[in-house]
Amino acid sequence: MSLLAQVVEERRGDVVVARVSGEIDASNAPWLDERLRSAISNEADGLLVDLTMTTYLDSAAIALLFGLATALRQHQQQLSLVVAEGSPIARMVQLTALAETVPTHPTLEAALAES
Amino acid sequence: MRQVLEALQRITDAALAFLPEEQLLQTLLQRVLEILQVDTVAILLLEGEALHARAAIGIEEEVEQGVRIPLGGGFAGRIAAERHPITILDVDHADILNPILREKGIKSLLGVPLIVQGRVIGVLHVGSLTPRVFSEQETDLLQLAGDRAAGAIEETRALHRERVAREAAEAATRRLEALQRVTDVALTYLPEEELLQELLQRVADTLDVDTVAILLLEGDAVHARAAKGIEEEVEQGVRVPLGRGFAGRIAAERRAIAITDIDNADIYNPILRDKGIKSLFGVPLVAEDEVIGVLHVGSLTPRTFDDDERSLLQLAGERAARAIERARLYEQRHVAEVLQRRLLPGVPGEALGLETSARYLPAAGGSLGGDWYDIFLLAGGRVGIVVGDVVGRGVEAAAVMAQLRTAVRAYAADGHPPDAVVDRVNNLMLSLGPLAMTTLVFLVIDPGGETIEMVSAGHPPPVMIDPDGTASIMWAPGGVPLGATTASIYAAHTFPFPTGSMVLAYTDGLIERRGQSLDVGLERLRGLADGAGDADALCAAIVAKLVPEAPGDDVAFLAARVPPLADHLSTRWQATPESLAPIRYLLRRWLLNRGASEDEAFDITVASQEACANAIEHAYGPGLADFTVAANYDDGRVAIAVTDHGRWRAPRGDNRGRGLSLMRELMDDVEITQRADGTVVTLVRTLGSAAA
Repeated sequence: MSLLAQVVEERRGDVVVARVSGEIDASNAPWLDERLRSAISNEADGLLVDLTMTTYLDSAAIALLFGLATALRQHQQQLSLVVAEGSPIARMVQLTALAETVPTHPTLEAALAES
Repeated sequence: MRQVLEALQRITDAALAFLPEEQLLQTLLQRVLEILQVDTVAILLLEGEALHARAAIGIEEEVEQGVRIPLGGGFAGRIAAERHPITILDVDHADILNPILREKGIKSLLGVPLIVQGRVIGVLHVGSLTPRVFSEQETDLLQLAGDRAAGAIEETRALHRERVAREAAEAATRRLEALQRVTDVALTYLPEEELLQELLQRVADTLDVDTVAILLLEGDAVHARAAKGIEEEVEQGVRVPLGRGFAGRIAAERRAIAITDIDNADIYNPILRDKGIKSLFGVPLVAEDEVIGVLHVGSLTPRTFDDDERSLLQLAGERAARAIERARLYEQRHVAEVLQRRLLPGVPGEALGLETSARYLPAAGGSLGGDWYDIFLLAGGRVGIVVGDVVGRGVEAAAVMAQLRTAVRAYAADGHPPDAVVDRVNNLMLSLGPLAMTTLVFLVIDPGGETIEMVSAGHPPPVMIDPDGTASIMWAPGGVPLGATTASIYAAHTFPFPTGSMVLAYTDGLIERRGQSLDVGLERLRGLADGAGDADALCAAIVAKLVPEAPGDDVAFLAARVPPLADHLSTRWQATPESLAPIRYLLRRWLLNRGASEDEAFDITVASQEACANAIEHAYGPGLADFTVAANYDDGRVAIAVTDHGRWRAPRGDNRGRGLSLMRELMDDVEITQRADGTVVTLVRTLGSAAA
């Protein structure tokens, strides 16, 4: 359990959706990493991490998303993100060039339509 | 004359004194018989108001038939009453009570009183089967023999009395020792289990019984808690309903019960019969006028417990009850104390971004209650505060408190709003079964948003102190106490809580006074809080002025204040990732107070966190390492300095390099200064202008 963030997982068609709410920093990034890695099964095509309800991300969180994307790619699976436009999270994703490596969508619906 | 002296010598032989009374009397009679050459001789001793034939030769029937002659009656009775010798020449025509004398054919009699220190103790008499006139010399001789006999009798009696007294004293000492063994004060300091075992052993040794058992009252039955000789009772968890069987009746009727023949008795527990117990004796264990259990002993052979043994077990029971009660209180108090200590947080004010102070004061007499407070950080820098009161005392109340405390924290951490948290705690409590009734108030302070939310479950209203010092009661419609009903609806009420405000939450012990309405107590508390500007000073004032010397109830209270943040801020943190969240909450509030926009606050916070993450990573080894974060605002220019005691390490791999580039992108200027004692990262950005 983390006091800062919560995750709710859900299977939507061929992808697993993980909604992350709260704050992710170095104190709970390892917990989130483990949680997301165990959320995805072999049958799923990909993992969609919804950061709409996320209020804070630091570089440790960015690092875990980069690492997760690499790990999934090795299993022919894809990581994609939902990041609300104009949010502080969007700024982080853009500043760290995460969006260049990981497909990013403004809404969950848009992301599901793409996948 | 020589004969007389020899005869005297034989009668007064000192060695006689050491014979037991029966033998002494027999020997004396034999010698008198020989010296006076008579046919019969008898000694009667005074017991109460009558003479009892105790030894006789020639008229042994006197003793065999247990002849008793009243004082003053007949031959012997008159001698004793008149205290002088009497001679009867012709028995057939004299006043004789005892028919045996005539039947044996005695014709003449001579008798003398036995006198010791002026007290008549009996009569010695001799008889002749032929008419005989006893001479004066013979009378004197018999009187001398009588005197010596009386002296000897008295001596053996004194010896006997002494022996009896000594034996009685020894028995009393043994009883005292036995009692001492079961009531040894040292036993008090044993934990309950060990105490019971030790008591059983000592009772078994002292009363020499085959079984001993202690059953303690729990609810409406006595439960076997310790046993010796009938260990199965405990192993099988025997419980005897109050009023039933042997132990159940002892507890219900609160009296000792003896069973001499178990086969014809009302016995509830078959183990007693199965073990072959024949006789039982049990006493109630009573502590502070309450029956707390039963102590019983058993014998495998039929046995009647005598008065001594009964009173010994009674005493053992009394002392055992007291010892058990004391051990229980001690144990309860110890457990409750540990629980309380573990559950009350040492409030880390700085880590919460608040000034906080709290007190827990147990009731006089030591028994701890179920009052508690808790304070914890929530996402976004909000701070949760709980003050609660579980009705009841001791371990049970502390255990309920522990469950509730954890439940509130868990539901709050899950991100539920405050009213939903209390609602869930209530449902949880109802699902756990009948727990003690509990009141609590749950407050959530949002220092950034300058609000406070309150949910009350039957709890006295907190006091709020404005930044200008005005104290007011936080009146709002509240829900019923927890655990009462699922139908209860808990509502959250939001109050403005501008920077500089303080809140005080407490348990009812602080405002309750016998014979006074709660409003009086509330107003007294509000008055005391009025003008308070410091959490610690307020708590100290409450202890000094509102908490009685010996409080009848335990009291818990907590004050929390959102301190204003000056242009210059200097803080010290433990070098652990857990420090990151409170640092960013504090910086964010400080930045917003300085007029930073949301985006600016976010950028500067993120950059500062990257510097902090570096400092935490550089901290050598786990433990006490710390680092400082200073913030300075000067005419629109914000400077954040993060100083650690480690050596700056060149970023390794993509990820940490990302941290450094993030700092550079988010701030106008980033400076890393390597010093002998550590590294300083200085981040500068001017508000109102886009980052570099």
